[in-house]
Amino acid sequence: MTGTIRGGQAAATQAPRPAPRAAQSAHRRALMMRYARLAFLVPAGAYVLFAFAVPVVYNLILSFEQTSPATIADLFAPFAGLANYTATVGQSATQSVLLHTLFFTVGSLVFQFLIGFSLALLFQVKFPLGVLGRSLVIVPWLLPFLITGTIFRFLFQLEAGAVNQLLSALGLISQPIGFLLTPHWAFTVVLITNIWLGIPFFTVLLYSALQDVPPEIKEAALIDGASFWPRLTRVTLPIIRPVIEVTFVLGFVFTVKVFDIVIGLTNGGPANSTQLIATWAYNLSFQQFDYGAGAAVNTVLLLIALLAAPIYIRLNRSSLRAGVT
Amino acid sequence: MNRRRRLTAVIAGTGAFAALAVLLFPLYAVIIASLETNSQLIGTSYNWYPPTPNLDNYRQVITTQGSHLVSSLIIAIGTTLLTLAVSLPAAHALARYRFRVTAAIVGSLLVAQILPSIVIANSLFVLYHKLHLLNSYAGLILADATYAVPFSILVLRAFMLSLPSDVLQAARVDGATEWNTFLRVVLPMSRSAIITVALFAFLNGWGDFIFALTLLSGGTFQPVTLSIYNYIGEFTQNLGAAMALAVFAVLPAAMMLIAAQRYIAAGLTVGSVKG
Repeated sequence: MTGTIRGGQAAATQAPRPAPRAAQSAHRRALMMRYARLAFLVPAGAYVLFAFAVPVVYNLILSFEQTSPATIADLFAPFAGLANYTATVGQSATQSVLLHTLFFTVGSLVFQFLIGFSLALLFQVKFPLGVLGRSLVIVPWLLPFLITGTIFRFLFQLEAGAVNQLLSALGLISQPIGFLLTPHWAFTVVLITNIWLGIPFFTVLLYSALQDVPPEIKEAALIDGASFWPRLTRVTLPIIRPVIEVTFVLGFVFTVKVFDIVIGLTNGGPANSTQLIATWAYNLSFQQFDYGAGAAVNTVLLLIALLAAPIYIRLNRSSLRAGVT
Repeated sequence: MNRRRRLTAVIAGTGAFAALAVLLFPLYAVIIASLETNSQLIGTSYNWYPPTPNLDNYRQVITTQGSHLVSSLIIAIGTTLLTLAVSLPAAHALARYRFRVTAAIVGSLLVAQILPSIVIANSLFVLYHKLHLLNSYAGLILADATYAVPFSILVLRAFMLSLPSDVLQAARVDGATEWNTFLRVVLPMSRSAIITVALFAFLNGWGDFIFALTLLSGGTFQPVTLSIYNYIGEFTQNLGAAMALAVFAVLPAAMMLIAAQRYIAAGLTVGSVKG
């Protein structure tokens, strides 16, 4: 990779060599300059091709092939048409995984926004240790996701779990709840864990958006005698709407591909009740050794994730313009 | 008015710190769990503080997990170096030069940011099988950099776009080559953004689980995340040790975030505007 960069450097230093005719030399120099500039893009181009483009295309190919543990030795397996798709998307297990992922995504985003935005509003108010508190909000980010899953598994244990202990101390339950043993509870715990994980992201982004609201506008609304709620919905929210959109789009992208915390918490169980698309694709490919089926589910995941692409690109349209010089 | 403002502050402060307690409790729970014995951890009641704090779990982790911590470190450093080597020249070119394809490249990087890792992992597993990259540091690092490369190019480019163009123009007038301008002028001026993306790449390499799970089939080496996963396979027997290992896994992130806080703020304020 450094080779190509050095090549670019060599081209750049050779460029000003005198040539017989001035016009030709200028033309050549411009050409060399262009190659030198393009050389800066070569490592990234090669990497994006290798690590993004090829895997995505290859996944698509795999999803149309009749794979088996034996075909792993070959790059290509026999063509299977839509068999992998009909066998997975047509199957009730995959359909309920899609449904789980839908509930999981909507539930996560709604609560992450409500809690994150409330926290961002609270931190707008000046109170002792507010700055310290604000910097501590990002602590959940410090934990690798798998570890977050493991910790929540520990906290939601049956008898020695902190949550059951707290609920029974408050007199809310008489018997410990089998949070990770019953399907609907297990799903709720995975959802709670993911909400917990996303709150810092929403809080930090929305807080900085609120900070950027021009103080004149806030004061004008105050002087007009607007009370808290109209001020929020008619003044603040419209102003920070672009940031809210970015936050939701990124939140969506993070949420549809959640993997680690499910593995750490439940490994997809009990009875596949906590399988999301990503863990289900993993399960098919790496635990049932059906790579074709896994690839088909991956294609579905890819299409869902790519729903965000047009919006994401539109929100970033200012960065699409060309460079400075 | 003043009294009302004070009341608002009390309510906001109470609410914020109650929320913080919930956000921080799991971290507290890991630390105290790492100081307990297994029978205390899976007994009949939860201990809100360690009944008999001891460091046995840490002793066990240090004697049995040292090599895994080293593996994680190699992966994280390799991911950081690869990310920087790929992203810095590209970001510079995309910020400085006018290419006909700039918009297309930036657009495809935005799409690359969206691609789910499990899709890439599934394909890479089969491709690596052919390329003999399974169970290798090189293969895993190439995969782990997918988390950081698109983000890094976009953030670095946004930062480099904000550099004063007269300084770069002056370098060009002085006859500096494109490469020297990049190396001597652009890179030093972009320090805060470089630290931000380096940190991001490091933490992603350190915390990666999907690629380690799919591209390493055990045997040769194992990062900490995979080792924790294997620990919780036998949940009840190794819980204390898993928690001590979790503390180790969080340490570099915590230390680096604290050390580089200033740079992160500087680097992200530019990047966040443009995503």
